[in-house]
Amino acid sequence: MLGRARPAYSFLRVLYGEGLVIGYGGDPVASKVDFSLSSGEILAVIGYNGSGKSTLVKSILGVTPLLGGRLRWDAGRPTTPVGYLGQLTDFDRRFPMRVIDLAATGGWSQLGFFEGAGRRARRNAEAALERVGLADAADMPLHQLSAGQLQRALFARTIMQDAQLIILDEPFAAVDQSTEADLMPLILDWSRQGRALILVMHNLSAVLEHCSSVLLMGRGGAAFGPTHEVLIPEQLVGLGYMAADKPYLNATAASTSAAKVGKYV
Amino acid sequence: MFEFLEFAFMRKAIAAVIILSLGMAPVGCFLVLRRLSLAGEAMSHAAIPGIALAYAVAGLSVLSMTLGGLIAGLSVALASTLLSRLTLLREDASMATLYLLALAGGIFLLSVRGTAVNLESFLFGNVLSLSDGTLVLIGSSTTLTLLVIALILRPLVLQSVDPAFAQSQSQRGWLTRSLFMVLVVLNLIAGFRALGTLMAVGLMIVPATAARYWVNALTPMILLAFAFSAGSGLLGLLLSFWLDNVPSGPAIILVAGLVFFVSLAIGQNGLNLIRRFRAPD
Repeated sequence: MLGRARPAYSFLRVLYGEGLVIGYGGDPVASKVDFSLSSGEILAVIGYNGSGKSTLVKSILGVTPLLGGRLRWDAGRPTTPVGYLGQLTDFDRRFPMRVIDLAATGGWSQLGFFEGAGRRARRNAEAALERVGLADAADMPLHQLSAGQLQRALFARTIMQDAQLIILDEPFAAVDQSTEADLMPLILDWSRQGRALILVMHNLSAVLEHCSSVLLMGRGGAAFGPTHEVLIPEQLVGLGYMAADKPYLNATAASTSAAKVGKYV
Repeated sequence: MFEFLEFAFMRKAIAAVIILSLGMAPVGCFLVLRRLSLAGEAMSHAAIPGIALAYAVAGLSVLSMTLGGLIAGLSVALASTLLSRLTLLREDASMATLYLLALAGGIFLLSVRGTAVNLESFLFGNVLSLSDGTLVLIGSSTTLTLLVIALILRPLVLQSVDPAFAQSQSQRGWLTRSLFMVLVVLNLIAGFRALGTLMAVGLMIVPATAARYWVNALTPMILLAFAFSAGSGLLGLLLSFWLDNVPSGPAIILVAGLVFFVSLAIGQNGLNLIRRFRAPD
């Protein structure tokens, strides 16, 4: 049990969204999305496939323009890039690159235009690989990595980004349990260091365990709030994340919720 | 044995292929790595009507033919991107259609205009009769290419490995992409007089694919591609010098092809035949 992350810093709101309408090419995928995110906090984004989770992430990154609503950065839009680990649909594993080179690309945005990556950058990349358990694979070409090793390498790249806001889009979708168990503490560490995190995820028990607030995206709207208030059957079924005619799922969710109610009443 | 060096046209030709290789190696490597090999081929055909038109209007001027080719090649690239965004057709289909039309139009224009430019040397190149103007074009193209590649190297790498991550880092990805396409067309046009419109793209693609069979990092791949490209250029030139009636373009590309097959057979990322026979376990 890792427990919920407890930040060393006091909470400072980093970012909030009001009445966001998101989608591609003028077609809204989700609307009425509200959320807020503070430093040291892990915000979980959940929702059925196609509910607009990745689109929301791209809107926050500034890649996909918002169709409506307001996104506000309390201290201004960060001048350095946001830490981002996305889904790997377009990732090219055949590109001629070693693991350590991939990790080092995370630090490129901090280098000056004419500045080369020096010895310090190299040492940082080595330390990042060490942290994700890939020190031995530093010189391996990307095309020889397993899915789990690649994800570790990408976490090393995210470490190198050293960003105050980090967005992880289904980081554990393609990896085994032990890789997830190795990498989850890294996310909790980032949170303890006072970084703000957005975590798109399907694993509800991990969300319950580690995340302070949840944005549940679904049909006709979204629910946002503290984890124990959003992860209840009425919300999960109402927003299309769980089917109402699946008693097993309902029973599980209901018992979780009953336990919560018992705890909080 | 080195009597070929006594001829000015041979010295020019050797300088041309080596300088050309310097620019074509990095551009070719990224073309291959970005899965644009066939698009590069299409662009080289697309540039032909621009060159033909410029020739019809301004005669045999290196500058106007270069500009004409650049404009035609880039318009076809832009038009096929637009068509694939606005309609159902995928980019490769619209590009193939447009470049075939451009190629047909170019050959048509050249033939109607007369035979001052020999069609064979247009298609297959004549590196043994390069003008000083063409040499200047090749030198400028290579200089510009190396400068621009140095400026856009990091975004270019990020885009090629992980496009989604590159997008999250910078909103100016379109600029990197466009500059790269300009470099592709520029190098093709610089290679046209030496290698011909059908063969120029070969000196980009073939050495780059051969190099990938040997190495697993970008810098060695580019250096090796340059060595392969310059080496094939030299050998091909000598073949064309020694054997009568062999145009230089195909000779150079055939030597590059030989390098490719050797790399395929024994390179560590190829079939790796030597190691397989030595250690049959």
